[in-house]
Amino acid sequence: MIRATKTLTPIQAVEFLFDAARKKGADRFDAVAGESESLGLELFEGKVKSTEISNSRGIGIRLFQGHRPGFAFTERLTPEALARTVDDAWSHAALTDEVEIDLPEPAPLPDLDLQSFNPALESVTLEELKAFGLKLEALASKGDARIDNVPYLGASRGSGFSLIANSNGLLYESRSNSISAGVGVVAKEGDVKKMGVYSRAGRAFDPAVFDPAFMARTAVERAVELLDAAPVTSGAYPVVFSNRVSAQVFSMFGSPFFAEAVQKGQSRLKDKIGEKIAAAAFSLVSDPFLLGFPGSHLFDGEGVPARRLDVVKDGVLQTFLYNLESAKKAGVAPTGTGSRGYSGKAGTGFANYIVPLGTESFGQLVAKHPKTLVIVKLEGGSGCSAISGEISIGAQGFLYENGVRTQSVDRVTLSTNFFDLLLGIQGLSNQYNDVFSSVKVPDVLVESVHVSG
Amino acid sequence: MNPEQAQRILQAGKDKGADFVEIFEEETRHAAVSFKDRKVESASAGTDYGIGIRLLFGTEVLYAHTSKDDEEHLLRLIEALAVSRGNMPGIVGLGPDDRIAPLTGIERANRHLITLDPRKVGQERKLEMLRRADETARRFSEKITQVQTRAADTVSDILICNSDGLWLTDTRTRSRFHVSVTAGGGGEIFTAGESPGSQRGFEFFEGLDVEKHAHEAAERAVRMLAAGYASGGKMPVVMGNGFGGVIFHEACGHLLETEGVRRKASVFADKIGEQIAHPEVTAVDDGLIENAWGSIHVDDEGRAPQKTTLIENGVLKTYLSDRVGAQETGVSLSGSARRESYQYAPVSRMRNTYIAAGRHTPEAVIASVEDGLYAKKLGGGSVNPATGEFNFAVEEGYRIRGGKVMEAVRGATLIGKGPEILPRISMVANDLELAAGICGASSGSVPVTVGQPTLRVDSILVGGR
Repeated sequence: MIRATKTLTPIQAVEFLFDAARKKGADRFDAVAGESESLGLELFEGKVKSTEISNSRGIGIRLFQGHRPGFAFTERLTPEALARTVDDAWSHAALTDEVEIDLPEPAPLPDLDLQSFNPALESVTLEELKAFGLKLEALASKGDARIDNVPYLGASRGSGFSLIANSNGLLYESRSNSISAGVGVVAKEGDVKKMGVYSRAGRAFDPAVFDPAFMARTAVERAVELLDAAPVTSGAYPVVFSNRVSAQVFSMFGSPFFAEAVQKGQSRLKDKIGEKIAAAAFSLVSDPFLLGFPGSHLFDGEGVPARRLDVVKDGVLQTFLYNLESAKKAGVAPTGTGSRGYSGKAGTGFANYIVPLGTESFGQLVAKHPKTLVIVKLEGGSGCSAISGEISIGAQGFLYENGVRTQSVDRVTLSTNFFDLLLGIQGLSNQYNDVFSSVKVPDVLVESVHVSG
Repeated sequence: MNPEQAQRILQAGKDKGADFVEIFEEETRHAAVSFKDRKVESASAGTDYGIGIRLLFGTEVLYAHTSKDDEEHLLRLIEALAVSRGNMPGIVGLGPDDRIAPLTGIERANRHLITLDPRKVGQERKLEMLRRADETARRFSEKITQVQTRAADTVSDILICNSDGLWLTDTRTRSRFHVSVTAGGGGEIFTAGESPGSQRGFEFFEGLDVEKHAHEAAERAVRMLAAGYASGGKMPVVMGNGFGGVIFHEACGHLLETEGVRRKASVFADKIGEQIAHPEVTAVDDGLIENAWGSIHVDDEGRAPQKTTLIENGVLKTYLSDRVGAQETGVSLSGSARRESYQYAPVSRMRNTYIAAGRHTPEAVIASVEDGLYAKKLGGGSVNPATGEFNFAVEEGYRIRGGKVMEAVRGATLIGKGPEILPRISMVANDLELAAGICGASSGSVPVTVGQPTLRVDSILVGGR
């Protein structure tokens, strides 16, 4: 193994890399560095099962020989390792085909506190997390006589620092932190076992959010409510993807909106700008400026100032999401939606993926048809392909008849295509779930989905 | 890290009253070239580096990891871990039994011969192979709209030392090729891929028939693009060999890891000695198969791997264990403790898991089905170990009618529960094949092999239309 001589800070490491890149003869380069810390624990049967403290850092460089990019990264921030990283990137640039990219110039960023970092959170100790976890576990295990076990109980907090810099003199830094706690309970009745999971997260250890009684009750409800579930008869049903799962469904199909996928023949949305791709009730926004949201940022992963994008408006596709490479290829300005971590090449990503709320209540959505299947749990995503749009997935939930819940449902599968689903949307509810997430989608009523049971 | 430093760090952990202290140091070199859109899309390399320190108090696990290697920082982490469980700062141990044993180097068995260290070969030699695969796939049909190929290798140098006196180094070398082919037409797109991998160096790429893999992926993408939807419902299903083994991996394998069993988060807890599968079924997790993708020289606690028979003629024999899991569940150690990297504490994980070859021919298995589905190639899947509920996507499926394989069908998903499926595996063929995969669980993503012969499940719910 390499013996460390001296470890540099991320900013010193950037300076070292850039200096070495210049000496190689590179005239354009950028670097992304990240550092993160976390602490957390898991509890089981009133005891700490495991405790984890972590601390990691790394840096990646992209440099150009002419128009050929080369990339390399390291988690060792020593001069030797950094020098090797530049050597690697330089040798890779000789192998790669040419790519046209304009690295961004430094630009003034909006004077906006996105509330991504809460200093008060840094003083939350493992002791406090443990005390909270013990309370939560005790409440969850006694929440119902049918609770068999509480196999998952964890609480943690973490913070991260990242920076992006480039040869145009751009240097942006950002910091974020968050705290989370979750519980998974197994309810048992006869031979049937069902799991209910509930977790909370946020930027503050706020007792209103981290309410152990409410969290335990919700997890228990989610486990016991499906104990008597049975399949429904196979056929086409109106389906409501409840806001517990709608974000999961929609976030699997982010990449068709990325210009890179369109340009490489891997999106069915090719040539659809200005066309109706969804029901008029559906809009989609990439919003980087929502206060306290995990997907908020002032600049993207390549240093381009972020901006709010209407991606779909009233069912009509408005734009794709571009990073530096796909924008240059298309001859348009980048949309501030580049993504990049220190160990990966640049990609594309939504900031916060927001489907604006509808006007109807959940109750109104399920009363629209004589029979509606409401999905509250999805099993796996392997049968879903962002490229083809196929959705074939196991599901659990409830059958509603004329707006009234009449049966718990499991052992069924759903089969549809995401692009058909978008056009078949009949309504969106006026409520998001309470998850700390960069993806927000309300309950979605879809006209018809094939159900096998 | 040198033995003197390690000794001081391990002792610091013992001084906090820990029953067992372990250090895992890792430096992993990744190198990959991707070819997409008829271009070298990226050539990249990188180094992961870090140290994980594990303290065990009984079976309570305290774990810290960091990418900094200075001793003072590591000692501070141990202090923080100890304080986190309520220990007062400072030394609590120091009885005569608390002095750690001298560190003694042990030679690992070099089970998997590597002849060409990828670090010495360089990335440019991957290019010709990637281009060849790209051309093969594109030649297959005009419907091919995109081809992505990738060749990646990793070499990990690791050190494991612990308060029992172990000092062991290991080098893990793995190489993997990937081809993904997209076919399009009539407003629809379908993608299919192949991803062979091995615990080998660059010699793996040199011996690989990339044309065969590219051709298979292209053929599947075009065929499935034209396929109609599978019809849903309960039916007999014939699972193809090779990657079809992912169903055993997900539906049963995960439920047999002590990490789930000890949390009572497995439906197979307390079932050792019971008939849990059809008598036709014998299932094995073998860490020793020469150069297999999921094989290991030593596990991540420094123990030699074994060939572990999990189910024999339908009877559950044992679980896959790690140090803590073995202690809590009472099974013997199987050399199955694994982790993705220094960022994870090791837990029991699968290695090369397969259902052993049976006595039927694959043709006889298919001929036994009057009306059902032939799931020739499965995509991925997942399981909830606590409830046993699993799901799998069928990447390449066919309808079976009258014992014959008929038209291709797509969009099929298989769902069910592990304990219900095992007794319904009623025919096992003699064409065992293994396939490489990546398995994600609590100790991260680790390379595993799945495998099985062609087999028949009497009834399973198929999702379709």
